[in-house]
Amino acid sequence: MINTPPGKSWRDGEGLHVDTRGLSPPDPMVAILWHLEQPGEQGPVIAYLERNPIYLLPELAERGWKWDITDNTPGAVRLILRAEK
Amino acid sequence: MSMAAGFLGGAKDRLLPASIPFRFFLSAAAFHILAWAVLFMGADQVAGFSGGTGPVLAAIHLATLGVFSMTAIGASYQLFPVVTGRALARTWPVRLSFWFLLPGIILLAYGMGLGTSLFMQTGAVLVTVGLVMFAFVMAGNLSRAAGSMPVVAAHGWAALVALIMFAGLGLALIWDFEVGFLADHSGLAILHMIMASFGFMGLLVGGLSLILIPMFVLTRSLGNRPGWVQLALAGLALVCFSIANLMEIPALNWLAVLAGLITAGTYIWQMRKAQAASMRKRLGLSFILIRSSWGLLILTLVIGGVIQAGLPIPNAPALFGFALLAGWLLTFLTGVLQRIMPFLASMHASGMSGLPMLMSELVVETPLKIHAYSHFAALALVGAGIVLDMTVLVQLGAVSGTIGALAFLAFALNVVLKLRASQQGNRDIKRGKRQSSRARK
Repeated sequence: MINTPPGKSWRDGEGLHVDTRGLSPPDPMVAILWHLEQPGEQGPVIAYLERNPIYLLPELAERGWKWDITDNTPGAVRLILRAEK
Repeated sequence: MSMAAGFLGGAKDRLLPASIPFRFFLSAAAFHILAWAVLFMGADQVAGFSGGTGPVLAAIHLATLGVFSMTAIGASYQLFPVVTGRALARTWPVRLSFWFLLPGIILLAYGMGLGTSLFMQTGAVLVTVGLVMFAFVMAGNLSRAAGSMPVVAAHGWAALVALIMFAGLGLALIWDFEVGFLADHSGLAILHMIMASFGFMGLLVGGLSLILIPMFVLTRSLGNRPGWVQLALAGLALVCFSIANLMEIPALNWLAVLAGLITAGTYIWQMRKAQAASMRKRLGLSFILIRSSWGLLILTLVIGGVIQAGLPIPNAPALFGFALLAGWLLTFLTGVLQRIMPFLASMHASGMSGLPMLMSELVVETPLKIHAYSHFAALALVGAGIVLDMTVLVQLGAVSGTIGALAFLAFALNVVLKLRASQQGNRDIKRGKRQSSRARK
Protein backbone atom coordinates (compact mmCIF):
# COMPACT_ATOMS: atom_id res chain seq x y z
CA MET A 1 0.00 0.00 0.00
CA ILE A 2 1.16 3.55 -0.72
CA ASN A 3 1.47 5.83 2.32
CA THR A 4 2.08 9.10 0.50
CA PRO A 5 0.79 9.65 -3.02
CA PRO A 6 2.92 11.07 -5.83
CA GLY A 7 2.35 14.71 -6.86
CA LYS A 8 1.06 17.71 -4.91
CA SER A 9 -2.31 18.25 -3.24
CA TRP A 10 -4.08 20.99 -1.28
CA ARG A 11 -7.61 21.74 -0.18
CA ASP A 12 -9.50 25.05 -0.47
CA GLY A 13 -13.09 26.23 -0.82
CA GLU A 14 -13.37 24.66 -4.28
CA GLY A 15 -12.45 21.20 -3.02
CA LEU A 16 -9.34 19.00 -3.03
CA HIS A 17 -6.78 19.90 -5.69
CA VAL A 18 -4.42 17.18 -6.98
CA ASP A 19 -1.60 18.33 -9.25
CA THR A 20 0.04 15.47 -11.16
CA ARG A 21 1.87 17.51 -13.80
CA GLY A 22 5.46 16.39 -14.37
CA LEU A 23 4.87 12.84 -13.13
CA SER A 24 5.70 9.68 -15.12
CA PRO A 25 2.91 7.25 -16.00
CA PRO A 26 1.20 5.66 -14.14
CA ASP A 27 1.83 8.10 -11.26
CA PRO A 28 -0.88 10.64 -12.26
CA MET A 29 -3.50 7.87 -12.24
CA VAL A 30 -2.18 6.44 -8.97
CA ALA A 31 -2.13 9.86 -7.28
CA ILE A 32 -5.72 10.67 -8.25
CA LEU A 33 -7.09 7.24 -7.32
CA TRP A 34 -5.21 7.35 -4.00
CA HIS A 35 -6.98 10.56 -3.04
CA LEU A 36 -10.38 9.29 -4.20
CA GLU A 37 -9.98 6.19 -2.04
CA GLN A 38 -9.38 8.13 1.18
CA PRO A 39 -12.23 7.60 3.66
CA GLY A 40 -15.01 10.16 3.30
CA GLU A 41 -13.76 11.65 0.03
CA GLN A 42 -16.74 12.47 -2.18
CA GLY A 43 -15.30 15.38 -4.16
CA PRO A 44 -15.16 17.74 -5.78
CA VAL A 45 -11.58 16.77 -6.56
CA ILE A 46 -9.87 19.03 -9.06
CA ALA A 47 -7.13 17.13 -10.90
CA TYR A 48 -4.41 18.80 -12.98
CA LEU A 49 -2.67 16.68 -15.62
CA GLU A 50 -0.41 17.11 -18.62
CA ARG A 51 -2.53 14.97 -20.91
CA ASN A 52 -6.05 13.67 -21.15
CA PRO A 53 -5.94 10.68 -18.80
CA ILE A 54 -7.30 8.00 -21.12
CA TYR A 55 -6.20 5.14 -18.87
CA LEU A 56 -7.70 6.71 -15.74
CA LEU A 57 -11.27 6.99 -17.01
CA PRO A 58 -12.19 3.26 -16.92
CA GLU A 59 -10.86 3.14 -13.34
CA LEU A 60 -13.03 6.14 -12.36
CA ALA A 61 -16.09 4.51 -13.93
CA GLU A 62 -15.34 1.25 -12.08
CA ARG A 63 -15.22 3.16 -8.77
CA GLY A 64 -18.41 5.14 -9.40
CA TRP A 65 -16.85 8.58 -9.93
CA LYS A 66 -17.99 10.97 -12.65
CA TRP A 67 -15.88 13.68 -14.22
CA ASP A 68 -16.01 16.92 -16.15
CA ILE A 69 -13.04 17.82 -18.33
CA THR A 70 -13.06 21.59 -17.82
CA ASP A 71 -9.83 22.26 -19.68
CA ASN A 72 -8.39 20.01 -22.36
CA THR A 73 -5.31 22.06 -23.29
CA PRO A 74 -2.23 19.79 -23.62
CA GLY A 75 0.02 20.50 -20.64
CA ALA A 76 -2.85 21.94 -18.58
CA VAL A 77 -5.69 19.42 -18.57
CA ARG A 78 -8.14 19.96 -15.70
CA LEU A 79 -10.74 17.50 -14.47
CA ILE A 80 -13.38 17.92 -11.78
CA LEU A 81 -14.30 14.63 -10.15
CA ARG A 82 -17.35 13.86 -8.02
CA ALA A 83 -18.53 10.62 -6.45
CA GLU A 84 -21.80 9.45 -7.99
CA LYS A 85 -24.65 9.67 -5.53
CA MET B 1 -19.94 15.24 -18.90
CA SER B 2 -19.11 18.60 -20.28
CA MET B 3 -16.98 17.57 -23.22
CA ALA B 4 -18.96 17.31 -26.41
CA ALA B 5 -16.38 15.00 -27.95
CA GLY B 6 -17.37 12.25 -25.52
CA PHE B 7 -15.61 10.91 -22.49
CA LEU B 8 -12.23 10.74 -24.17
CA GLY B 9 -12.38 14.46 -24.72
CA GLY B 10 -9.94 14.77 -27.60
CA ALA B 11 -7.53 12.08 -26.43
CA LYS B 12 -8.21 9.88 -29.41
CA ASP B 13 -4.92 10.83 -31.01
CA ARG B 14 -3.16 8.76 -28.36
CA LEU B 15 -5.77 6.00 -28.41
CA LEU B 16 -5.60 4.05 -31.65
CA PRO B 17 -8.88 2.99 -33.26
CA ALA B 18 -10.03 -0.13 -31.41
CA SER B 19 -9.82 -2.22 -34.58
CA ILE B 20 -6.02 -1.86 -34.66
CA PRO B 21 -4.91 -3.43 -31.36
CA PHE B 22 -7.83 -5.86 -31.36
CA ARG B 23 -7.01 -7.30 -34.79
CA PHE B 24 -3.56 -8.20 -33.44
CA PHE B 25 -4.95 -9.60 -30.17
CA LEU B 26 -7.69 -11.67 -31.83
CA SER B 27 -5.21 -13.09 -34.33
CA ALA B 28 -2.95 -14.00 -31.42
CA ALA B 29 -5.84 -15.81 -29.75
CA ALA B 30 -6.57 -17.75 -32.96
CA PHE B 31 -2.89 -18.65 -33.54
CA HIS B 32 -2.79 -19.84 -29.93
CA ILE B 33 -5.28 -22.61 -30.82
CA LEU B 34 -3.39 -23.51 -34.00
CA ALA B 35 -0.06 -23.70 -32.16
CA TRP B 36 -1.33 -26.31 -29.66
CA ALA B 37 -3.25 -28.24 -32.34
CA VAL B 38 -0.20 -28.47 -34.63
CA LEU B 39 1.96 -29.49 -31.65
CA PHE B 40 -0.49 -32.37 -31.16
CA MET B 41 0.11 -33.43 -34.76
CA GLY B 42 3.86 -33.53 -34.18
CA ALA B 43 3.70 -34.93 -30.64
CA ASP B 44 5.97 -37.90 -31.45
CA GLN B 45 8.76 -35.53 -32.57
CA VAL B 46 8.61 -33.07 -29.65
CA ALA B 47 10.93 -34.77 -27.13
CA GLY B 48 13.75 -35.32 -29.60
CA PHE B 49 13.26 -32.08 -31.53
CA SER B 50 16.50 -30.39 -32.52
CA GLY B 51 15.44 -28.42 -35.60
CA GLY B 52 14.32 -29.16 -39.15
CA THR B 53 10.98 -28.70 -40.87
CA GLY B 54 7.84 -30.48 -39.71
CA PRO B 55 4.89 -29.87 -37.40
CA VAL B 56 7.04 -29.01 -34.36
CA LEU B 57 8.80 -26.18 -36.20
CA ALA B 58 5.41 -25.00 -37.50
CA ALA B 59 3.93 -25.07 -33.97
CA ILE B 60 6.91 -23.10 -32.62
CA HIS B 61 6.40 -20.36 -35.22
CA LEU B 62 2.64 -20.29 -34.76
CA ALA B 63 3.39 -19.56 -31.10
CA THR B 64 6.34 -17.18 -31.51
CA LEU B 65 5.16 -15.16 -34.50
CA GLY B 66 1.45 -15.88 -34.28
CA VAL B 67 0.86 -15.40 -30.57
CA PHE B 68 3.87 -13.58 -29.14
CA SER B 69 4.71 -11.16 -31.95
CA MET B 70 1.08 -10.33 -32.69
CA THR B 71 0.47 -9.59 -28.99
CA ALA B 72 3.70 -7.64 -28.57
CA ILE B 73 3.18 -5.61 -31.75
CA GLY B 74 -0.45 -4.81 -30.94
CA ALA B 75 0.49 -3.76 -27.41
CA SER B 76 3.52 -1.77 -28.58
CA TYR B 77 1.48 0.26 -31.07
CA GLN B 78 -0.86 1.21 -28.23
CA LEU B 79 1.63 1.63 -25.37
CA PHE B 80 4.77 3.19 -26.83
CA PRO B 81 2.93 6.46 -27.62
CA VAL B 82 2.21 6.61 -23.86
CA VAL B 83 5.87 5.99 -23.07
CA THR B 84 7.17 8.52 -25.59
CA GLY B 85 4.40 11.07 -25.09
CA ARG B 86 3.97 11.21 -28.87
CA ALA B 87 1.07 9.85 -30.92
CA LEU B 88 1.91 7.58 -33.87
CA ALA B 89 2.53 9.80 -36.89
CA ARG B 90 0.13 7.80 -39.09
CA THR B 91 -1.90 4.63 -38.76
CA TRP B 92 -1.86 3.20 -42.30
CA PRO B 93 1.58 1.53 -41.90
CA VAL B 94 0.27 0.03 -38.66
CA ARG B 95 -2.72 -1.52 -40.45
CA LEU B 96 -0.57 -2.56 -43.41
CA SER B 97 1.98 -4.31 -41.19
CA PHE B 98 -0.84 -6.53 -39.93
CA TRP B 99 -1.85 -7.47 -43.48
CA PHE B 100 1.72 -8.59 -44.21
CA LEU B 101 2.08 -10.48 -40.94
CA LEU B 102 -1.21 -12.40 -40.94
CA PRO B 103 -0.90 -14.22 -44.29
CA GLY B 104 2.88 -14.39 -43.86
CA ILE B 105 2.63 -16.32 -40.60
CA ILE B 106 0.01 -18.69 -42.04
CA LEU B 107 2.09 -19.40 -45.15
CA LEU B 108 5.32 -19.74 -43.19
CA ALA B 109 3.82 -22.19 -40.70
CA TYR B 110 2.11 -24.17 -43.47
CA GLY B 111 5.36 -24.37 -45.41
CA MET B 112 7.33 -25.37 -42.32
CA GLY B 113 4.80 -28.05 -41.42
CA LEU B 114 4.96 -29.62 -44.88
CA GLY B 115 8.58 -28.74 -45.65
CA THR B 116 7.54 -26.76 -48.75
CA SER B 117 10.16 -24.18 -49.67
CA LEU B 118 7.89 -21.96 -51.77
CA PHE B 119 5.38 -21.42 -48.95
CA MET B 120 8.13 -21.01 -46.37
CA GLN B 121 10.00 -18.46 -48.46
CA THR B 122 6.89 -16.48 -49.43
CA GLY B 123 5.69 -16.52 -45.82
CA ALA B 124 9.11 -15.51 -44.51
CA VAL B 125 9.30 -12.53 -46.91
CA LEU B 126 5.81 -11.33 -45.96
CA VAL B 127 6.54 -11.71 -42.24
CA THR B 128 9.85 -9.87 -42.60
CA VAL B 129 8.16 -6.99 -44.45
CA GLY B 130 5.52 -6.79 -41.69
CA LEU B 131 8.18 -6.82 -38.97
CA VAL B 132 10.29 -4.20 -40.73
CA MET B 133 7.21 -1.96 -41.06
CA PHE B 134 6.60 -2.37 -37.35
CA ALA B 135 10.27 -1.52 -36.71
CA PHE B 136 9.97 1.67 -38.80
CA VAL B 137 6.78 2.79 -37.07
CA MET B 138 8.33 2.17 -33.65
CA ALA B 139 11.64 3.78 -34.56
CA GLY B 140 9.74 6.84 -35.80
CA ASN B 141 7.83 7.07 -32.54
CA LEU B 142 10.83 6.36 -30.30
CA SER B 143 12.99 8.93 -32.10
CA ARG B 144 10.44 11.65 -31.22
CA ALA B 145 10.29 10.53 -27.56
CA ALA B 146 9.48 13.32 -25.15
CA GLY B 147 8.23 11.17 -22.30
CA SER B 148 9.76 10.78 -18.90
CA MET B 149 10.48 7.08 -19.32
CA PRO B 150 13.76 6.87 -21.26
CA VAL B 151 14.52 3.43 -19.86
CA VAL B 152 11.35 1.95 -21.40
CA ALA B 153 12.12 3.65 -24.72
CA ALA B 154 15.67 2.25 -24.57
CA HIS B 155 14.26 -1.26 -24.11
CA GLY B 156 12.18 -0.57 -27.24
CA TRP B 157 15.28 0.41 -29.25
CA ALA B 158 17.17 -2.69 -28.06
CA ALA B 159 14.19 -4.89 -28.98
CA LEU B 160 14.23 -3.43 -32.49
CA VAL B 161 17.93 -4.33 -32.86
CA ALA B 162 17.11 -7.90 -31.77
CA LEU B 163 14.20 -7.91 -34.25
CA ILE B 164 16.47 -7.03 -37.16
CA MET B 165 18.90 -9.78 -36.09
CA PHE B 166 16.33 -12.54 -35.64
CA ALA B 167 14.44 -11.61 -38.81
CA GLY B 168 17.65 -11.56 -40.87
CA LEU B 169 18.78 -14.88 -39.42
CA GLY B 170 15.31 -16.32 -40.00
CA LEU B 171 15.37 -15.42 -43.68
CA ALA B 172 18.84 -16.92 -44.08
CA LEU B 173 17.78 -20.13 -42.33
CA ILE B 174 14.69 -20.50 -44.54
CA TRP B 175 16.76 -20.18 -47.73
CA ASP B 176 19.38 -22.50 -46.29
CA PHE B 177 16.80 -25.32 -46.22
CA GLU B 178 16.86 -25.20 -50.03
CA VAL B 179 20.29 -23.85 -50.93
CA GLY B 180 22.42 -25.10 -48.04
CA PHE B 181 24.87 -22.19 -47.88
CA LEU B 182 25.19 -21.85 -44.09
CA ALA B 183 28.16 -23.57 -42.43
CA ASP B 184 26.36 -24.09 -39.11
CA HIS B 185 22.59 -24.16 -39.63
CA SER B 186 21.72 -25.51 -36.18
CA GLY B 187 24.00 -23.06 -34.34
CA LEU B 188 22.44 -20.11 -36.18
CA ALA B 189 18.96 -21.54 -35.58
CA ILE B 190 19.66 -21.47 -31.83
CA LEU B 191 20.93 -17.88 -32.10
CA HIS B 192 17.78 -16.97 -34.09
CA MET B 193 15.58 -18.49 -31.34
CA ILE B 194 17.45 -16.73 -28.53
CA MET B 195 17.35 -13.36 -30.34
CA ALA B 196 13.63 -13.73 -31.04
CA SER B 197 12.61 -14.95 -27.57
CA PHE B 198 15.01 -13.39 -25.06
CA GLY B 199 16.03 -10.57 -27.41
CA PHE B 200 12.96 -9.15 -29.13
CA MET B 201 10.25 -10.53 -26.86
CA GLY B 202 12.29 -10.45 -23.64
CA LEU B 203 13.31 -6.82 -24.09
CA LEU B 204 9.75 -5.75 -24.94
CA VAL B 205 8.38 -7.69 -21.97
CA GLY B 206 11.08 -6.28 -19.68
CA GLY B 207 10.57 -2.71 -20.87
CA LEU B 208 6.78 -2.57 -21.15
CA SER B 209 6.41 -4.36 -17.78
CA LEU B 210 8.03 -1.30 -16.16
CA ILE B 211 4.92 0.68 -17.10
CA LEU B 212 2.26 -2.04 -17.47
CA ILE B 213 2.66 -3.87 -14.18
CA PRO B 214 2.54 -0.69 -12.01
CA MET B 215 -0.49 0.39 -14.07
CA PHE B 216 -2.23 -2.95 -13.58
CA VAL B 217 -1.55 -3.22 -9.84
CA LEU B 218 -1.92 0.56 -9.30
CA THR B 219 1.29 1.64 -7.73
CA ARG B 220 3.92 4.32 -8.26
CA SER B 221 6.17 4.14 -11.31
CA LEU B 222 9.31 2.12 -10.76
CA GLY B 223 12.56 4.06 -10.58
CA ASN B 224 14.66 4.29 -13.73
CA ARG B 225 17.93 2.96 -12.27
CA PRO B 226 16.99 -0.74 -11.80
CA GLY B 227 15.50 -0.63 -15.28
CA TRP B 228 18.83 0.53 -16.74
CA VAL B 229 20.65 -2.24 -14.82
CA GLN B 230 18.14 -4.73 -16.21
CA LEU B 231 18.70 -3.49 -19.76
CA ALA B 232 22.50 -3.50 -19.47
CA LEU B 233 22.53 -7.05 -18.08
CA ALA B 234 20.11 -8.30 -20.74
CA GLY B 235 22.29 -6.73 -23.43
CA LEU B 236 25.39 -8.36 -21.90
CA ALA B 237 23.68 -11.77 -21.85
CA LEU B 238 22.60 -11.48 -25.49
CA VAL B 239 26.01 -10.23 -26.69
CA CYS B 240 27.85 -13.01 -24.78
CA PHE B 241 25.52 -15.65 -26.19
CA SER B 242 25.95 -14.31 -29.73
CA ILE B 243 29.76 -14.23 -29.51
CA ALA B 244 29.86 -17.65 -27.88
CA ASN B 245 27.90 -19.12 -30.78
CA LEU B 246 29.35 -17.19 -33.70
CA MET B 247 32.99 -17.47 -32.58
CA GLU B 248 32.65 -20.85 -30.90
CA ILE B 249 33.70 -19.77 -27.41
CA PRO B 250 31.45 -22.00 -25.25
CA ALA B 251 32.80 -20.56 -21.98
CA LEU B 252 31.04 -17.26 -22.77
CA ASN B 253 27.73 -19.12 -22.57
CA TRP B 254 28.31 -19.31 -18.80
CA LEU B 255 28.51 -15.53 -18.65
CA ALA B 256 25.33 -15.33 -20.77
CA VAL B 257 23.45 -17.66 -18.39
CA LEU B 258 24.73 -15.79 -15.33
CA ALA B 259 23.86 -12.36 -16.78
CA GLY B 260 20.47 -13.75 -17.85
CA LEU B 261 19.76 -14.98 -14.32
CA ILE B 262 20.72 -11.64 -12.75
CA THR B 263 18.61 -9.81 -15.37
CA ALA B 264 15.63 -12.02 -14.51
CA GLY B 265 16.29 -11.46 -10.78
CA THR B 266 16.41 -7.68 -11.24
CA TYR B 267 13.20 -7.77 -13.28
CA ILE B 268 11.32 -9.96 -10.82
CA TRP B 269 12.52 -7.88 -7.87
CA GLN B 270 11.05 -4.76 -9.48
CA MET B 271 7.80 -6.52 -10.31
CA ARG B 272 7.46 -7.87 -6.76
CA LYS B 273 8.20 -4.40 -5.39
CA ALA B 274 5.39 -2.98 -7.53
CA GLN B 275 3.03 -5.70 -6.41
CA ALA B 276 3.88 -5.23 -2.73
CA ALA B 277 2.77 -1.58 -2.92
CA SER B 278 -0.38 -2.34 -4.93
CA MET B 279 -3.49 -0.23 -4.31
CA ARG B 280 -5.65 -2.88 -5.95
CA LYS B 281 -7.19 -5.25 -3.46
CA ARG B 282 -7.74 -8.14 -5.86
CA LEU B 283 -5.31 -8.80 -8.69
CA GLY B 284 -7.28 -11.75 -10.06
CA LEU B 285 -6.49 -14.68 -12.29
CA SER B 286 -4.32 -12.74 -14.70
CA PHE B 287 -1.75 -12.21 -11.97
CA ILE B 288 -1.64 -15.90 -11.14
CA LEU B 289 -0.48 -16.40 -14.72
CA ILE B 290 1.87 -13.41 -14.67
CA ARG B 291 3.48 -14.45 -11.37
CA SER B 292 3.82 -18.06 -12.54
CA SER B 293 5.55 -16.84 -15.68
CA TRP B 294 8.25 -15.22 -13.54
CA GLY B 295 8.99 -18.59 -11.91
CA LEU B 296 9.01 -20.27 -15.32
CA LEU B 297 11.51 -17.68 -16.60
CA ILE B 298 13.92 -18.66 -13.82
CA LEU B 299 13.27 -22.37 -14.51
CA THR B 300 14.09 -21.80 -18.21
CA LEU B 301 17.41 -20.16 -17.36
CA VAL B 302 18.26 -22.92 -14.89
CA ILE B 303 17.60 -25.54 -17.58
CA GLY B 304 19.87 -23.49 -19.87
CA GLY B 305 22.58 -23.68 -17.19
CA VAL B 306 22.03 -27.42 -16.83
CA ILE B 307 22.50 -27.87 -20.60
CA GLN B 308 25.67 -25.77 -20.47
CA ALA B 309 26.99 -27.87 -17.58
CA GLY B 310 26.27 -31.06 -19.52
CA LEU B 311 24.18 -32.56 -16.72
CA PRO B 312 22.09 -35.53 -17.84
CA ILE B 313 18.48 -34.33 -18.08
CA PRO B 314 16.69 -36.31 -20.80
CA ASN B 315 15.78 -34.22 -23.84
CA ALA B 316 17.02 -31.05 -22.15
CA PRO B 317 17.11 -28.88 -25.34
CA ALA B 318 13.43 -29.58 -26.07
CA LEU B 319 12.55 -28.99 -22.42
CA PHE B 320 14.43 -25.67 -22.51
CA GLY B 321 12.55 -24.56 -25.62
CA PHE B 322 9.20 -25.59 -24.18
CA ALA B 323 9.83 -23.89 -20.82
CA LEU B 324 10.94 -20.73 -22.62
CA LEU B 325 8.09 -20.47 -25.11
CA ALA B 326 5.05 -22.15 -23.55
CA GLY B 327 6.22 -21.72 -19.96
CA TRP B 328 7.50 -18.17 -19.63
CA LEU B 329 6.29 -16.22 -22.66
CA LEU B 330 2.90 -17.82 -23.37
CA THR B 331 1.94 -17.78 -19.68
CA PHE B 332 2.97 -14.13 -19.29
CA LEU B 333 1.30 -12.90 -22.47
CA THR B 334 -2.03 -14.63 -21.88
CA GLY B 335 -2.01 -13.11 -18.40
CA VAL B 336 -1.35 -9.64 -19.81
CA LEU B 337 -3.87 -10.01 -22.64
CA GLN B 338 -6.70 -10.84 -20.26
CA ARG B 339 -6.08 -7.54 -18.47
CA ILE B 340 -5.30 -5.32 -21.41
CA MET B 341 -8.20 -6.36 -23.67
CA PRO B 342 -11.06 -5.40 -21.32
CA PHE B 343 -9.13 -2.26 -20.31
CA LEU B 344 -8.78 -1.06 -23.91
CA ALA B 345 -12.32 -2.12 -24.79
CA SER B 346 -13.67 -0.19 -21.83
CA MET B 347 -12.07 2.99 -23.13
CA HIS B 348 -13.55 2.50 -26.59
CA ALA B 349 -16.96 1.20 -25.55
CA SER B 350 -18.83 4.13 -24.09
CA GLY B 351 -22.31 3.06 -23.12
CA MET B 352 -25.63 4.90 -23.43
CA SER B 353 -24.50 7.40 -20.80
CA GLY B 354 -21.38 8.35 -22.75
CA LEU B 355 -19.30 6.83 -19.94
CA PRO B 356 -16.88 3.96 -20.55
CA MET B 357 -18.29 0.49 -20.04
CA LEU B 358 -17.16 -1.05 -16.79
CA MET B 359 -14.24 -3.43 -17.23
CA SER B 360 -16.05 -5.91 -15.00
CA GLU B 361 -18.95 -5.95 -17.50
CA LEU B 362 -16.59 -6.95 -20.28
CA VAL B 363 -14.98 -9.95 -18.58
CA VAL B 364 -16.47 -13.43 -18.37
CA GLU B 365 -14.57 -15.39 -15.72
CA THR B 366 -15.45 -18.97 -16.73
CA PRO B 367 -13.45 -19.13 -19.99
CA LEU B 368 -10.48 -17.59 -18.20
CA LYS B 369 -10.65 -20.22 -15.46
CA ILE B 370 -10.84 -23.00 -18.06
CA HIS B 371 -7.88 -21.46 -19.86
CA ALA B 372 -5.78 -21.22 -16.70
CA TYR B 373 -6.42 -24.81 -15.57
CA SER B 374 -5.90 -26.19 -19.08
CA HIS B 375 -2.77 -24.12 -19.66
CA PHE B 376 -1.06 -25.27 -16.46
CA ALA B 377 -2.11 -28.88 -17.12
CA ALA B 378 -0.65 -28.58 -20.63
CA LEU B 379 2.65 -27.27 -19.26
CA ALA B 380 2.91 -30.14 -16.77
CA LEU B 381 1.89 -32.86 -19.25
CA VAL B 382 4.04 -31.75 -22.18
CA GLY B 383 6.98 -31.08 -19.83
CA ALA B 384 6.66 -34.59 -18.37
CA GLY B 385 6.18 -36.04 -21.87
CA ILE B 386 9.47 -34.46 -23.00
CA VAL B 387 11.48 -35.68 -20.00
CA LEU B 388 9.96 -39.20 -20.06
CA ASP B 389 9.90 -39.31 -23.87
CA MET B 390 6.22 -40.32 -23.83
CA THR B 391 4.27 -39.19 -26.87
CA VAL B 392 0.92 -39.82 -25.20
CA LEU B 393 1.70 -37.27 -22.47
CA VAL B 394 2.67 -34.68 -25.09
CA GLN B 395 -0.59 -35.42 -26.93
CA LEU B 396 -2.65 -35.08 -23.76
CA GLY B 397 -0.86 -31.83 -22.96
CA ALA B 398 -1.48 -30.48 -26.46
CA VAL B 399 -5.19 -31.36 -26.17
CA SER B 400 -5.33 -29.58 -22.83
CA GLY B 401 -3.52 -26.57 -24.33
CA THR B 402 -5.97 -26.51 -27.25
CA ILE B 403 -8.95 -26.55 -24.87
CA GLY B 404 -7.40 -23.68 -22.93
CA ALA B 405 -6.73 -21.75 -26.12
CA LEU B 406 -10.34 -22.25 -27.29
CA ALA B 407 -11.57 -20.92 -23.94
CA PHE B 408 -9.22 -17.95 -24.27
CA LEU B 409 -10.58 -17.18 -27.73
CA ALA B 410 -14.12 -17.31 -26.29
CA PHE B 411 -13.06 -14.71 -23.69
CA ALA B 412 -11.47 -12.50 -26.36
CA LEU B 413 -14.47 -12.76 -28.70
CA ASN B 414 -16.82 -11.86 -25.87
CA VAL B 415 -14.84 -8.67 -25.19
CA VAL B 416 -14.83 -7.74 -28.88
CA LEU B 417 -18.54 -8.51 -29.40
CA LYS B 418 -19.50 -6.36 -26.40
CA LEU B 419 -17.28 -3.58 -27.71
CA ARG B 420 -18.90 -3.77 -31.16
CA ALA B 421 -22.41 -3.88 -29.70
CA SER B 422 -21.65 -0.79 -27.64
CA GLN B 423 -20.17 1.08 -30.61
CA GLN B 424 -23.15 0.09 -32.77
CA GLY B 425 -25.50 1.30 -30.01
CA ASN B 426 -23.74 4.67 -29.96
CA ARG B 427 -24.01 5.00 -33.73
CA ASP B 428 -27.74 4.22 -33.53
CA ILE B 429 -28.23 6.85 -30.81
CA LYS B 430 -26.36 9.48 -32.86
CA ARG B 431 -28.39 8.61 -35.97
CA GLY B 432 -31.62 8.86 -33.96
CA LYS B 433 -30.60 12.28 -32.60
CA ARG B 434 -29.76 13.56 -36.09
CA GLN B 435 -33.09 12.36 -37.44
CA SER B 436 -35.13 13.92 -34.62
CA SER B 437 -33.20 17.20 -34.98
CA ARG B 438 -33.98 17.23 -38.74
CA ALA B 439 -37.62 16.46 -38.02
CA ARG B 440 -37.83 19.44 -35.60
CA LYS B 441 -36.40 21.77 -38.27
